[in-house]
Amino acid sequence: MGMGLTDTCSSDVAAPHAAAPRILLIIPCFNEEASIGGVLSEIAATGRHYHTLVVDDGSSDATSAVASCRSPVARLAQNLGIGGAVQTGIKYAARQDFDFCVQIDGDGQHDPRAVETLLNAYRMQPANITIGSRFIEHEGFCSTRMRRAGIRLIVLALNGLFGGGRITDPTSGMRLLDRSAIAFFAKAYPTDFPEPISLAWALRAGLTVSEVPIEMRARETGVSSIDGLKSASYMVRVLGYILLARLVRSR
Amino acid sequence: MTNALPSPETVVVISAFALIYMVVLLKKTLQGKFDLYDFLMLSMVAIIPAGFTLFPRLAYLVSHLTGVVFPFVVMFGALFLVVFAFMHNMTARLHRLERQNCALIQEQSLLALELKAKERGQPAA
Repeated sequence: MGMGLTDTCSSDVAAPHAAAPRILLIIPCFNEEASIGGVLSEIAATGRHYHTLVVDDGSSDATSAVASCRSPVARLAQNLGIGGAVQTGIKYAARQDFDFCVQIDGDGQHDPRAVETLLNAYRMQPANITIGSRFIEHEGFCSTRMRRAGIRLIVLALNGLFGGGRITDPTSGMRLLDRSAIAFFAKAYPTDFPEPISLAWALRAGLTVSEVPIEMRARETGVSSIDGLKSASYMVRVLGYILLARLVRSR
Repeated sequence: MTNALPSPETVVVISAFALIYMVVLLKKTLQGKFDLYDFLMLSMVAIIPAGFTLFPRLAYLVSHLTGVVFPFVVMFGALFLVVFAFMHNMTARLHRLERQNCALIQEQSLLALELKAKERGQPAA
């Protein structure tokens, strides 16, 4: 079930769409030639009319070539990191006038069938951002214990500093953005640690956030860029950015 | 105040360094490698020690006024201040350039995508 995380909302949440909404699936990729074909096949297999945009974040392998057979590909000339890649997709969604966009990782972690779950949650309880959370029902791949502890700290910081509700999975990349959120993030989106910090920015700006349980899978290929000592550095920096977001006035 | 003044050798060495350094900086500024702000900030590395050497009584006066016993501590303090001001400005500039670079790369990729769609005679989405 989706949860309303803020009681009041300064931004408009559109009424649930009666007709079929235009949905863009943003697929950021960096050297995902081994998995991107499978991800696009899975999307096609859902039988839904989703538009896709693969954002090739400066891959040195054949990611673009593999993806371009089945989807438009925005090829970044240089690696911008996940934040820059996702924002490229969000800008595309804003310009092409999509009703919603959803981020689907190119490494196969996200099940495209969960997009329907996000949409249903939105229809029942519209919010500007609907997060697919791994930690409401604790099913599927829930990351390592160490990382879950870190996520808990981020949750405490976000809920404590911005209040109004309870976010359980601030690092989940799978999230549905409505028009207001698309317009907001097209203007500014964090390049470092984008998932939790974008939430802090959104909450500061008065956007509403809800969550719905989904299952995630372990990545098919590649390794996480946040391991070992980097995790500690990640935590400190994310918490610092969240605190900073609280201190800065809304833009 | 004290009578410990720099020796003629010190004055010659510091002045020569300041002159050569400033000429090199000026040359690079004229070549467009630095702008006027960079030129001014970087030239402080020569101007401040030269000022302390050529006008030692002024250096003692400044250290006396600031309550610092040794003038060279004041000199290094001034140099650190300039370096930090320069770093502060450079960091802000770098951050702005990074954002602009990111936006340009995004724009380029989206325009290329749009162009490709137009060439195929399709709407972009």
